[in-house]
Amino acid sequence: MGNKQTVFTHEQLEAYQDCTFFTRKEIMRLFYRYQDLAPQLVPLDYTSCPDVKVPYELIGSMPELKDNPFRERIAQVFSEDGDGHMTLDNFLDMFSVMSEMAPRDLKAYYAFKIYDFNNDDYICAWDLEQTVTKLTRGELSAEEVSLVCEKVLDEADGDHDGRLSLEDFQNMILRAPDFLR
Amino acid sequence: MSAYYRNNAYEEDPDAAYYSGSQNHPRGYLNTPNYPEPPDPLNNPDYPSTRRNPYSADSRTGPDYPGSLAEPDYPGSQRNPDYPGNRHNPYAADSRSSDYPASWAEPDYPGSPPNPYHSGPSREPDDSASQRNPAFAGSRSSGNYAGSRTNPDYLGSLGEPDYPGAQGNTTSPGPSAKSNQPGSRRNPESAGSRINPYIDALGQPDYPGAENQPDPPNFWGEPDYPDAEDYRHAPNLWGEPDYPGAENGSSENPEMNREMLSRTSSIRPSFHRGGDGPLGILGREDGDNPENIEMTSMEMANPYSHSVPGAPDRGYVNPAYVGDDGRGQADRDPPLSGHDWFKSPQGQKLIASLIPMTSRDRIKAIRNQPRTMDEKRNLRKIVEKEKSKQSRRILELTCCAQCLNSMSLTYRRVKNSLSELLHSINLWQKTFKVIRGKFGTSVLSYFNFLRWLLKFNVLAFVVTFSFIIIPQLTVAPKNHLQFTGLEFVTGAGYFSDTVMYYGFYTNSTIRHGDGGASYNMQLAYIFTIGAYLVTCFFSLLFSMARYFRNNFINPHVYSRGIAKLIFCWDFTVTHESAVKLKQKNLSTEIQENLSEIRQENVKLTFKQQLVHFSAHLAAWVVSTGVAIACCVAVYYLAENNSEFLANHRDPGAVLLLPFVVSCINLAVPRFYSMFRLVEHYEMPRHEVYSLLIRNIFLKISIIGILCYYWLNIVALAGEECWETLIGQEIYRLLLMDFVFSLADSLLGEFLRRIIGTRFIRSLGLQEFDIARNVLELIYAQTLVWIGTFFCPLLPFIQMITLFIMFYVKNISLMMNFQPPSKAWRASQMMTFFILLLFFPSLIGVLCTLAITIWRLKPSAGCGPFRGLPFFIQSIYSWIDTLSKRPSYLWVVWIYQNLIGSVHFFFILTLIVLIITYLYWQITEGRKIMIRLLHEQIINEGKDKMFLIEKLLKLQDTEKRANSTSFRLEGRDSEQSGSLRVREHIDARDLRFRRSVQEDNPKA
Repeated sequence: MGNKQTVFTHEQLEAYQDCTFFTRKEIMRLFYRYQDLAPQLVPLDYTSCPDVKVPYELIGSMPELKDNPFRERIAQVFSEDGDGHMTLDNFLDMFSVMSEMAPRDLKAYYAFKIYDFNNDDYICAWDLEQTVTKLTRGELSAEEVSLVCEKVLDEADGDHDGRLSLEDFQNMILRAPDFLR
Repeated sequence: MSAYYRNNAYEEDPDAAYYSGSQNHPRGYLNTPNYPEPPDPLNNPDYPSTRRNPYSADSRTGPDYPGSLAEPDYPGSQRNPDYPGNRHNPYAADSRSSDYPASWAEPDYPGSPPNPYHSGPSREPDDSASQRNPAFAGSRSSGNYAGSRTNPDYLGSLGEPDYPGAQGNTTSPGPSAKSNQPGSRRNPESAGSRINPYIDALGQPDYPGAENQPDPPNFWGEPDYPDAEDYRHAPNLWGEPDYPGAENGSSENPEMNREMLSRTSSIRPSFHRGGDGPLGILGREDGDNPENIEMTSMEMANPYSHSVPGAPDRGYVNPAYVGDDGRGQADRDPPLSGHDWFKSPQGQKLIASLIPMTSRDRIKAIRNQPRTMDEKRNLRKIVEKEKSKQSRRILELTCCAQCLNSMSLTYRRVKNSLSELLHSINLWQKTFKVIRGKFGTSVLSYFNFLRWLLKFNVLAFVVTFSFIIIPQLTVAPKNHLQFTGLEFVTGAGYFSDTVMYYGFYTNSTIRHGDGGASYNMQLAYIFTIGAYLVTCFFSLLFSMARYFRNNFINPHVYSRGIAKLIFCWDFTVTHESAVKLKQKNLSTEIQENLSEIRQENVKLTFKQQLVHFSAHLAAWVVSTGVAIACCVAVYYLAENNSEFLANHRDPGAVLLLPFVVSCINLAVPRFYSMFRLVEHYEMPRHEVYSLLIRNIFLKISIIGILCYYWLNIVALAGEECWETLIGQEIYRLLLMDFVFSLADSLLGEFLRRIIGTRFIRSLGLQEFDIARNVLELIYAQTLVWIGTFFCPLLPFIQMITLFIMFYVKNISLMMNFQPPSKAWRASQMMTFFILLLFFPSLIGVLCTLAITIWRLKPSAGCGPFRGLPFFIQSIYSWIDTLSKRPSYLWVVWIYQNLIGSVHFFFILTLIVLIITYLYWQITEGRKIMIRLLHEQIINEGKDKMFLIEKLLKLQDTEKRANSTSFRLEGRDSEQSGSLRVREHIDARDLRFRRSVQEDNPKA
């Protein structure tokens, strides 16, 4: 308890608790993990809300992300400026969304952003190609990749505009029960 | 100004014929009433209420500008005679000042040209002035807001060469505009002019001065409006003859900022959502007021965007798109507006909807916002502030409110720490994480299931322990049997005289001391077991229903599921090798899937089909035959068991039957899974399902045979205390099953790994067979449910075995297995498992126990029911006793009229059937609705594509035609440049064009 008081004020912790799916203890644990990433950078006192960002290189080296083929996208989506450098808030956000407690539509929303590589709010064929390549580590031939993309668009593109809107995506994903458990 | 021109252009336009005032008026009129009323945006769903906010925001830029000014944005309102003129006045006042560029922008705005058209003349002179000014101001505004994004866009649109409508200016609008131009002139007109427009759609007659001034440009050149030149282009757009009505609105704004567009459209849905009740109003008003400058600048930046929504005047809004945009907006919003999003109307809506929630719901809602932490925190702060403000208002007494506040705060803190505590109690958190990281969610579902069952058994144990076992322990007679240790295996001997078995319980009423509370063991026994089973029934039913709802929403639509393969990457998998393996598996699966798709059209020949069919048939026949053979074997073994036991004095002999059963359970499923070599299912899922069905058939029929044996042979054999015998049998079965699983995990799987990695490399590591393992759990749980009646301690034993099993399986999993190669539909399988647990398993158990309780005679010499003809007799006699006590007559009444009454159940069944039927009908109706909506979405998509093509073509031709004339002005050419860059964005606003198209079939 004593530790918490020095890092966050009571109100801060409460706000974090209300804004994430974590308990106090988990928030503290996450904070220390965040702090461990860059001990020189991150102060141990957050009561004054210092403006600190941990660079992507360090975020991406976390065991949770290290092997994730989408780690870069994840960091970009959750970081404030889209460059992958994360403040503590972004960091907590990321873990909150990724946690089991987060509802599926929230996850679907962020997943959509993750898959939307060019940030144009649509998953287009190019985004799909990126996704497939990342997922299969380039084991598919170019022709297969394009076939896959075509099929995916075929399956999920509700309004047939050649790309997946968030709507299409949610429509598909929320009905796929195995999505992001 | 531009608006005015537009109108005129229309008049001139032959197409405008259909604008013959009367037509337009009603339409505009209809729209208007909604506008002036902020509180119910719902009335006019088509109306993008959002606009108003931005507008008001804009208006606010001018410090003097009252929030109400937002109205002018709704040109329709001006037409509305009911509308107080005062609004116009403020406008007019502002109009003159060049500081209110935002408000000026309006005319461009709602694409409904008829509106401005009518409104122009109809308005008070001041008003019209304001309207006209806007056009100027708008252009100028860009000048004012040099830094703002708006400017380029705005200019761009104005300068767009695609809209050669300039003719409009020269023709009618010119003069009319002119007449409007001078503010002073307008004033005189104001009184009379207003009426005229209504009567006569043509605004010109109202402005006699128009003819005088044939040269509109001059008027533009007016010193007050230094940027007037720009405006000239704007009118062009408006005046374009090809776009009657709303088209102007939409076509003018090809360049609309995407963001702006999305903003406007997005707000619409939010309004619908939040606009409920007084709170909606509240929020909305808030929305207008706090609209701050940051927002303004953004919105102002693109005044045209507002105009786009004008299309809804036509009464057509594609709900799909609206929704789409709304979400899309949500996406875009955070980065766009940053910390200020909650000041937007949407944010205000959200806040307003959050306020009335309970704190728990509110926190949940805030957590679920797809926003950054900062925004969520701010949102929370604002909502809390609002809340406290409100509560203060309501309670008046501040101290009371404070007291309540602090109380709720303390309550929340206590709850938080409690949930934290509960969370830490939650078993195996870390292990679960590791398993998930290495094997993904599908394997985890097995462990989840295990933990779920464990909770079930803990509940059962707590219930039986506190209501049966503890009372019995207080009066337990001394146990004289000798304890050898072998009892652990056989469950007999020493244990048969303990609380473990039915036979040990007393049938008397337990009473400690004289006059102390009495405890009827008989009733306690039957009620506890009954309550436990009923609890199981309902909790299973509910969780099953929940799973069904979540997982079978729409199972058929994406059955092929390449999309799912791709998008259902398991983000929880973190282990490096696991990730690599998963990627590899995924690519194989995708390849398989693709080849499947490629070969889809290749039909099997009749011969091949025959071969397939016969293979399936043979497999089913063989598997059923094996299952039946096993059942028969178990039956004869059980029947002869007593003789066998009589011959063998060895106490271990009782283990023969459980051993055989466990062997069957171990061997036959593996035999079944070998069928896959013969059967070639097209879908791997079919294979899994058929395997599951065969296995469950085997296991359930074995249990069924055993139950038959127990109830019809053991119970009627006249043995002393047959209930205890059954309890022992079940105990041994469970124990043997547990031992076999242990051995299988520790030895079999280990050996398999050794073989796979050392000797036959091609085998490799095996995959965790989720289905088989889950079925084992279901089998054991079924036995436990049956056995709880005969052996109340059984849940406790099962608890221990499950606990051990978890660790054993976990270790074995980590050592001997590799992640599953198929993308498992874990959730659907889980639903299926729970269904299996419910349907054959629990229902079967309930039937068995019902037969036991209603039909069988309890043994005479032991147990709580000794001496009764039936178990259920205890209830009957209890009711009899109660009926003698007047204070308990209600219990008797309930029993006789509800539980014991056939008529009640008959009626109840009838009602339930009727409700079910109605719901079924509703579901059918919804299905049709869904299909229609789906078709509509598809149609919309086609329309969209068609319109995009059309638009591009149109733009091309127009650009070619007009580019030269517009090049003259540097700014304009710049704009058109930016236009081209932004062309791809245009698609977004196409839906508005579409509505235009609908309205303008002539075009």
